[in-house]
Amino acid sequence: MSYRYLLHAAIFENAQKIPDHPAVRFQKEELSYLQLAKASNQLANFLISRGVKRGDRVGIYMNKNLYSAVSIYGILSAGAAYVPLDPFAPIDRLSFVINDCQIQFIITNDQKMEDIKEIISKTSLQGLIGVQSTSEIDVPSYSWEQIFSFPSSSPLIQLVEQDLAYILYTSGSTGTPKGIMHTHRSGLSFAEWAVQTYQISSEDRISNHAPLHFDLSTFDFFASAIGGATTVIIPEGFTKLPASMAKWIQDEEITIWYSVPFALIQMLERGNLESRDLSGLRWILFAGEPFPTKHLRTLMKTLPWVKFSNLYGPTETNVCTYYHVAPLPEDSDEPIPIGIVCENTEDLVVDIEGRPVAEGEIGELLIRGGTVMKGYWARPDLTEKGFYRRKMFDYCEDIFYRTGDLVQKMPDGNYKFLGRKDRQIKTRGYRVELDEVEAMLLSHPTIHEAAAYPVPDVEGSNLIEAAVILIEGESISEDDIIKHLSGRLPSYAIPTKIIISDDFPRTSTGKINRRQLQERATRRINS
Amino acid sequence: METQTIIQKFILDELAKGRKKTIDVDDDLLGEGIIDSLGILQLVAFIEEKFNYTVPDEDVVIENFMSVSALSHYLDQKLASKG
Repeated sequence: MSYRYLLHAAIFENAQKIPDHPAVRFQKEELSYLQLAKASNQLANFLISRGVKRGDRVGIYMNKNLYSAVSIYGILSAGAAYVPLDPFAPIDRLSFVINDCQIQFIITNDQKMEDIKEIISKTSLQGLIGVQSTSEIDVPSYSWEQIFSFPSSSPLIQLVEQDLAYILYTSGSTGTPKGIMHTHRSGLSFAEWAVQTYQISSEDRISNHAPLHFDLSTFDFFASAIGGATTVIIPEGFTKLPASMAKWIQDEEITIWYSVPFALIQMLERGNLESRDLSGLRWILFAGEPFPTKHLRTLMKTLPWVKFSNLYGPTETNVCTYYHVAPLPEDSDEPIPIGIVCENTEDLVVDIEGRPVAEGEIGELLIRGGTVMKGYWARPDLTEKGFYRRKMFDYCEDIFYRTGDLVQKMPDGNYKFLGRKDRQIKTRGYRVELDEVEAMLLSHPTIHEAAAYPVPDVEGSNLIEAAVILIEGESISEDDIIKHLSGRLPSYAIPTKIIISDDFPRTSTGKINRRQLQERATRRINS
Repeated sequence: METQTIIQKFILDELAKGRKKTIDVDDDLLGEGIIDSLGILQLVAFIEEKFNYTVPDEDVVIENFMSVSALSHYLDQKLASKG
C-alpha cells in the first residue's frame, strides 16, 4: 500500500514489516502484529458471514483485554464501525445506545452475562460474540474458538476514508447520550499527527488507561499501531489503585503514558512514584480536564526527565490543540495553556454573534480540519447546531465545529482555556465564570480539588455553590475559604456555600461529576 | 463479627449502593465495578476507624483489595501481628 487511508491498515502493514513484534499486551500475555492481523481478519470474516455489512455498527461490551484489540480491528476490517459500550454504565443507558445506533452484535465475555440477559430483553440484539451459547440466552452466541476457525485472509471489502470507523457516546446536555461519529479519515488525521508529534516508534510501549468509550483510547491503539509500538492495556482493577498503577508503569516499562489528570494526581499522592524505576518513561500526555498547576508542578519535579504534554479537544474534534509544558514558575498557580493548534487543523475564535474577534480577545474556539467528526448519529438537528458554516476565501463555504469552549490567545501564541461557554452563568444579573471560581479555590494551599456549580434560587436566578476536597492532613473552615476568595473574586462570584467533603461523584472517565453535585444541592435546597 | 463479614457488609451497604444484591467473598470488587477509586478511599477510612489500623499506601494494591477474601486475609494477618 502506497499510502494509508484506513484506520486498521497499520496493523496489516506491521504484520508484514515486524510480524513478531508485540502489538498489544494485557496481563503478561500478548499478541504480535501478525497474530493480531490474523485474528482480526478471522473476526471480520465471521462478522461478514453473519450478515454484517459495510457501515453497520458492532458493539464492544467488556472490561478491556487482548480481545478488545481483536474486536476493534476485526470490526473495522469487516467494514463496520465499532461502538464501545461502557462496561459500568446502567443497563438502560446501554440499551438506549444499542437501540439508537441499531447494534445487532456485541462482543462480550462471561463476566457480563447477567447484564446481557437484561439488555437482550430491552433491545433487538441478534447475537453475542465471545461467549459459549447457553439455553439461558435467547440469541445465538459464538465463542472465540468458533471465530478462529474462519479464514485469516483479508475480506474483500472496498472502503473509503469517509466510511464510519467508530461511534463514541457522550452525555448530552439533556441527559440523552449522543453518538459522535468518527470516520477512518478523522481518526487517522489525529493518529498520524500524534505519531509525528510524539515520535512514536516500535521501541515504544504505550499505556492504555482510558476506557474504549473515551476518545483518549484512540491514541493508545491507533497511534501506537501506526508507529509500530506496543499498546499495553492496564487491567481495570489497577486503575483504581494508585500504588498498583505506578508499579504497573514500572513493570511494563511504559514509555508513553496518556490519561486524565486525575489518574496522575492519584499516583502522585498515593502511588509512591519516587520509589519506582520509571526511567523508561519519556512522555506523559494528559487530556480531558485542566491539570491543576500545583499538582502538575510536583509531578514534573518528581519525574524530571519526562516531557509533559497537554492535549486539548472535545471528542467531536479528537485533539485540536496541544501544549508541551514549559517549566512551571514556583510563584504562580496560573492554569497552563492548551497551546497551539495542531498541524492540519484550522482555528478561529468568534464572538457571540459569530464574528471573528481581534487577536487576543476572548471568544469561542471553532475548529476546521480532518480531525472533525462526521456528525452526531441520527441527530441532524444537533449536528447542524454543532457545525458552523462559514464562507471561506470568498468563494466557498466550509464547516467549522463549535467547541463551546472559551479561549484567549496570549501574546506568545498559546491559547488559554477559559472554560465552557455554558459554564458561564448569571447570578443576580452578573456574569460569572464557574471555572474561574474553581481556579481561585484551588489557589488556596489546603485545597486539593474544587468544583463550583450553579444552584437555582427561589427567585429564578442562580446561586453559586462549591464543594472542595482538602489535601490530606489539612484542615480549614468554610469561613476561611470565603475570606481567601473575597480578595480574589468579586463578591457576587463568591459561593454562598462551600461544602468540605471527602470525595466527589465522578463520571466513568474520572472527571468530577458537577451535574450530580448540582443535583444534590438542588434537592437539598428544595427539601 | 469476623473481619470478612464486617468488610462484606460495609461494601454491600455503603459502596455497592444497590448495584449488587449480594457480594461473594471472591467477587472481583474492582473489575466488576462494585468499588471505584473513591470507594477504595472510603474502605480504607472505614478500616482505620473500625479496626484501628491504618493501611499504608503501599499496601493499597490489587493483591490486597481485589476481593473480600483477599482483604480480610490481609487484615487478619496485620491485626494478628499488631497484637
